[in-house]
Amino acid sequence: MSVEEVTQQTGDLNIEEQPTVFSSEKEFELKHPLNSKWTLWYTKPPVDKSESWSDLLRPVTSFTTVEEFWAIHNAIPKPRYLPFKSDYHLFREDIRPEWEDATNAQGGKWTYQFKGKTPEIDDLWMRSLLAVIGETIDEDESEINGVVINIRKNGYKIAIWTKSADNEEALTRIGSKFKTVLKLGEDSPLEFFPHSTASEKHPQPSLIL
Amino acid sequence: MIRFTEDELLQLKPETDGPVNFDVENFVAIIDKVKEIQSLQEEEFQQFHRRRSSHHHGRPKIKHLKPKITTDSEGWSTFEGAAARRKSTAQGANSDDEAPAAKEPVVIAQETLKVKPNKHISSTRPADSRDIVADKPTMNFNAFAALNSEEEEEEEEEEKRG
Repeated sequence: MSVEEVTQQTGDLNIEEQPTVFSSEKEFELKHPLNSKWTLWYTKPPVDKSESWSDLLRPVTSFTTVEEFWAIHNAIPKPRYLPFKSDYHLFREDIRPEWEDATNAQGGKWTYQFKGKTPEIDDLWMRSLLAVIGETIDEDESEINGVVINIRKNGYKIAIWTKSADNEEALTRIGSKFKTVLKLGEDSPLEFFPHSTASEKHPQPSLIL
Repeated sequence: MIRFTEDELLQLKPETDGPVNFDVENFVAIIDKVKEIQSLQEEEFQQFHRRRSSHHHGRPKIKHLKPKITTDSEGWSTFEGAAARRKSTAQGANSDDEAPAAKEPVVIAQETLKVKPNKHISSTRPADSRDIVADKPTMNFNAFAALNSEEEEEEEEEEKRG
């Protein structure tokens, strides 16, 4: 087989990829790719004592484009509709929303608890999702691993999980932006907890904004 | 790194719901089922494990308006009803315009209570120490005094008839 023939056959090989706006500027139906693939996880509240954590935490779906994100976001129940003890987790790539995951092990979380009914919680959760998938909250390369909302009887908790827990400068920048996303005032402190302290009975935040 | 601001992402939000790559109906059904079970569990808890709201705080305090009792130097106590002490809050600043009758003090029947210093009911000792003196039998009979008193009574009766 000649060099020309090999070149010809190689050119004919084509792995079908989804067309995006980057491959065609004229096509308006094309999708807008995100920086990462994101996976939505759901923690089902236990209704039976025999259910373990691994039974309750399940991946729901993954997406890689803005359009897919909106389709999923519009289809699933909003946080205010979820039963108590439910969690939504949105994590980058294949990171499991657990401290034990290698990508989370050395990290921590910026967290804020909204006490009471908090009627605007659906909007605040959506703003958090947009900030994370749009990468506007993350100046450095992929410092953020995911975002979590916990639905509890006494309120809601929204947290951003980071890859590291000791890069104070980067964490402070992320925390400041996250505080703006959550529309928190000066009297509402945002706290950072390293995952290494998560198993402590009364963990103390290492950073407060 | 590909970035999208919040506004850019909101602009890309489609007006119609697009298809999703998982079974949404099944996912929503699981959530509805959990909500239903939680509701039943809550109902059962309310029914069988209900605790008094005052469980951690002692008994509820019910405030009663205590009657005012004034005791004089002789040991007699006067009961003043709560209604007599209650001021009218309906009176406005222009109370001068009100009818004069409204300004008259309300006459309320006063009840006199005798405070018993002796708390032992079964005791033969009189409740009031002054009764000891009153019940003491007089050893000497004064005849003149008795006659005077009868005359006075007759005079009083005549005055009433006249």
